Amino acid sequence: MELETLELGPLKIRNKLAIRLFSAVDDRLGVKEILQDEMFEKIVPAHLTFWACFGGISFFIFICQIVTGALLMIYYEPSIMKAHSSVARIMNDVPFGWLIRGVHAWGSNLMIITILIHMTKIFVTGIYKAPRELNWVVGVTLFLLTLGMSFTGYLLPWTQLAYWATVVGTETPAAMPVVGEHLRYFLRGGEDIGQITLTRFFAIHVMILPLILASIVGLHLVQIRRQGISGPM
Amino acid sequence: MAHPTEYTKKKECEVKAIPLEEKKRLVKEGKAHWFFPHHMIEQVLQCLAIIMILVTFSIIFPAHLGVKADPFDTPAHIKPEWYFLAAFYTLKFAQYFDFLGSWAPKILGIVIQGIAVTALLLVPFLDRGGAERRPSKRPIAMAVGSVSALLTILFSLLGWLT
Repeated sequence: MELETLELGPLKIRNKLAIRLFSAVDDRLGVKEILQDEMFEKIVPAHLTFWACFGGISFFIFICQIVTGALLMIYYEPSIMKAHSSVARIMNDVPFGWLIRGVHAWGSNLMIITILIHMTKIFVTGIYKAPRELNWVVGVTLFLLTLGMSFTGYLLPWTQLAYWATVVGTETPAAMPVVGEHLRYFLRGGEDIGQITLTRFFAIHVMILPLILASIVGLHLVQIRRQGISGPM
Repeated sequence: MAHPTEYTKKKECEVKAIPLEEKKRLVKEGKAHWFFPHHMIEQVLQCLAIIMILVTFSIIFPAHLGVKADPFDTPAHIKPEWYFLAAFYTLKFAQYFDFLGSWAPKILGIVIQGIAVTALLLVPFLDRGGAERRPSKRPIAMAVGSVSALLTILFSLLGWLT
């Protein structure tokens, strides 16, 4: 039996083809139930203020970073001979390359700012308290991973500042007792910073950290969905 | 301060189980909004605002590309990005403790950072203030949080100035 109108929340669809297509998918996957639960019949508490949006905004900037990062990868060459010139080419020759790199660079800064605002808001309003303790820990982990993204991404253009900032940055953990020296060797891929360091930072920046970050973002969101949005104070 | 409502006391997984009629009532009484389209439009507008900010900044202040790295030319002033300035200054700050011995600056520099990060991770377990959430009723948490934030800002400024 065919439906006359398909009702999804405030939407009323009467187009026959649209209804048939939707029903064909719904019969196989039961998407209507999901759409109703998660979107069309979902309610959001009215007490949310402007300050509640910064977690979502951080997530959106993360998505922007993935998109612009993937585009930058098309022209970037991770070798100490060509890294700098390939970034210069992105800035000067590639159409809108300056814009994509600009959004990626500003996005990295803005993401840290929005995470800090998000964290401050959660702290001041005491949202980290029971039952959300674990999600605070997961959230701080995400912040640290974001700093890791910034640290590894900073070296990739192979500029003078980036190189020497990385020298200092990888020297820091060497002060740790027992594991320090090994950690520095692991980060640099040798005694000094060179091609292996760049290759390593590139792999960490574009593959390893994004995968870990995306998984833990998933964990962050699943916890929010299970526990619901916190009530008013 | 608003009081907990029937909606806000419930968990997300339970909210889904609220009958549609009750959801309509909550929206009508102003205790909740529909996700679609109300909340969704807000979120789309926020995303557009972020894109606008990022594009505007990229146009007005284009991303900088410094000179190519030269491993044989140590620059006079090495300064990290702004979000690492506090950590950077912590290393410098630790050098004041060299009267304890030559080991002190290096070890203390990393130990202070380690303690700060661990404390941040464990905030929910270090806070013994019970279930109270209003900042005005949590003087200790607010004082510790403010002092930590101010110290971080101070260290960042000092890292920037040195």
